Amino acid sequence: MMSTINKSRRFTVPIGPQHPALKEPGHFEFVVDGEIVQSASVRLGYGHRGIEKAVESRSWIQNLYLLERICGICSHIHATAYCIGVEQLAGVTVPIRAQVIRTIVAELERIHSHLLWLGVAAHEAGFDTLFMYSWRDRETIMDILETLTGNRVNYSVNILGGVKYDLLPEHNEAIRMGLDFLEERTVHYVDVVTNDSLFLRRTQNIAVMSYEQALIAGVTGPTTRASGVKRDIRLDAPYLAYANYPIKLMIETHGDLEARFVVRLRELLESYQYIRTLLDVLPEGELKTRIPRRIKAGETISRVEAPRGELFYFIKSNGTDIPDRIHIRTPTLANIASVTHLVIGQHLADVPMVLIGIDPCFSCNDRMTVVDNEGSCDVWDGEKLRQYGIEYYQKRST
Amino acid sequence: MIEFLRTLVILLLFPTGLFLLFNAMIYQWIDRKLVARLQNRVGPKWYQPLADTIKLLANEEVFPEGTNHILFVWLPVVGLAGALTAALYVPILGLSPAYSFSGDLLVTVYLLSLLTLCLGLAGVNTRGQFSMLGATRTLTQLFAYEAPFLLALLGPAVVAGSLQINEIMAYSSQQWLIFTQPIGFVVLLVGLMGKLEIPPFDSPEAETEIVAGALTEYSGRGLALFRLGQWVELVVGLTLVAAFYLGGIHNPLDYVMKTVFSLLFIVTLQTTMTRLRIDQTVGLWWRYGTLLVLVQWLFIYLIEGVS
Repeated sequence: MMSTINKSRRFTVPIGPQHPALKEPGHFEFVVDGEIVQSASVRLGYGHRGIEKAVESRSWIQNLYLLERICGICSHIHATAYCIGVEQLAGVTVPIRAQVIRTIVAELERIHSHLLWLGVAAHEAGFDTLFMYSWRDRETIMDILETLTGNRVNYSVNILGGVKYDLLPEHNEAIRMGLDFLEERTVHYVDVVTNDSLFLRRTQNIAVMSYEQALIAGVTGPTTRASGVKRDIRLDAPYLAYANYPIKLMIETHGDLEARFVVRLRELLESYQYIRTLLDVLPEGELKTRIPRRIKAGETISRVEAPRGELFYFIKSNGTDIPDRIHIRTPTLANIASVTHLVIGQHLADVPMVLIGIDPCFSCNDRMTVVDNEGSCDVWDGEKLRQYGIEYYQKRST
Repeated sequence: MIEFLRTLVILLLFPTGLFLLFNAMIYQWIDRKLVARLQNRVGPKWYQPLADTIKLLANEEVFPEGTNHILFVWLPVVGLAGALTAALYVPILGLSPAYSFSGDLLVTVYLLSLLTLCLGLAGVNTRGQFSMLGATRTLTQLFAYEAPFLLALLGPAVVAGSLQINEIMAYSSQQWLIFTQPIGFVVLLVGLMGKLEIPPFDSPEAETEIVAGALTEYSGRGLALFRLGQWVELVVGLTLVAAFYLGGIHNPLDYVMKTVFSLLFIVTLQTTMTRLRIDQTVGLWWRYGTLLVLVQWLFIYLIEGVS
């Protein structure tokens, strides 16, 4: 009798694929007892676009534009990771000025990504005023990117072997003015996030991820740095200008939601400072170097620090003008599994914030998933996938 | 015949009926516009609530599977009717209430709660997970704010020695109770926010968690009526606040000034606060709200006893 009562009080709350808390399709199932979450499961794959397969039928140059469109927020960093990898394979060194410009745009992108996240996270907490303010301020960075490149989202700064746009003295002025404004605002947001007592009640000691848990879960980016793990590709494996001009590492040790807010906001402040440094030292020189149409056979990996964490590219060339294989691992894939552990024991009301706390980006991360409850470990080769695809669409058409 | 015509006018034109509905829409617009301006947005045009209502009324009404159709259709009607009826006993525009009798304050409070009850029932009736959770939270919140809300309304009644809204207002016109009972004023306004599920007390309809709470499955007419009911309740609540705590209402200008002042108070709280979790809401009301009002009651009794 007792067990039936317990059973009846528990029920499953589905969040997604379509849900106001999610800006992209993903599916989460939370089993709740009253308001407390008992268990959680995640299912991804709704935004799968088959990009990894599509790059295998496009030339190295065409792929640059395709890969930049993986993410609508961190578009530049995808193109950068790809360019770095291809340039490694081709054995080409990019001019130093182009490297610095790439880095500046990457940091500008981090700023707009973090400000966007701040807004979304505040909205999940029901603090819409902070949401509106941070998105208004984010427009500053969008305007800067637009004056710099002509585009607000897919800036298309990179080309293989260099960059497409130069940073002119008038851009320099505009960027500095924008950064000064944003710095003032960000200091205010740090104040709000750490001192607003009602907001703290929604973030402090919620979904704490300890140092050990962060290591075991293998999370990356600000999510792991909020738990005190010193992990940042910009310092661990420096690329572009980070090698010559190291960036400061931002660490918070509490591992709760508040720490995830604070670590991102402090990264913002560091980014402003870092961009100013780069603008000061911007070297003269060429913007691009020649790169062959056919890339030498071989394989390489390239790792960069996207706003959300480590972005990993594996690139394999067979000596033609088309890549043999490109594998992409976005930071969300590393972080998403931690959510299913973090939410257990939390209030249902905190679940959206915990979920957004890792700054998920489902569409970037989505891949084909095979839900297999038997636990078999088949290897799916290309032919099997192709056969599966043919059968799947035949079944659908009938 | 004259009596019949008077009743007809009261029910269809003023104070309930058309006038109150438009009044409610205008106040809703003021609320939305002010919130938008405080959040650095442009905000809607003045006719937006009216346009929303017309659009929703024209929408198709979808009945979810497994619901009781009679309840589904009539709960919003009863809720709105409750809110509109409550307006009969309050001095809208500063004119004397349409009907008045000894103890009408209690009837008004009951009628104001009717909408929340209907909302909760509607959520349970539609059987979705989100509606169910929303309904649970709506009713939990009802038990949280109702006691302090009622105590804050009864504070003026005790000093006036009457449960008739008319007489309490006559008493409060002589002295502004906001100065002698400041806690009651704050608790009453914040209680009104809880009643209407205005942020930060919007966890029953927190869109990022449970979509639209109890109203998730409602579209079209039902949704429009529930929303209208909440807007009307805002006006009735603000009128009560002005009549009891802000020195009574003497003419239409007085009415507008005092109610908009209270609305400003609500808007400020609404924009500067983070949504409270339902357990935090309950904690807030029982740990602080109720205790503070009881402390005020203690003072009232002590002063009454001395004088």
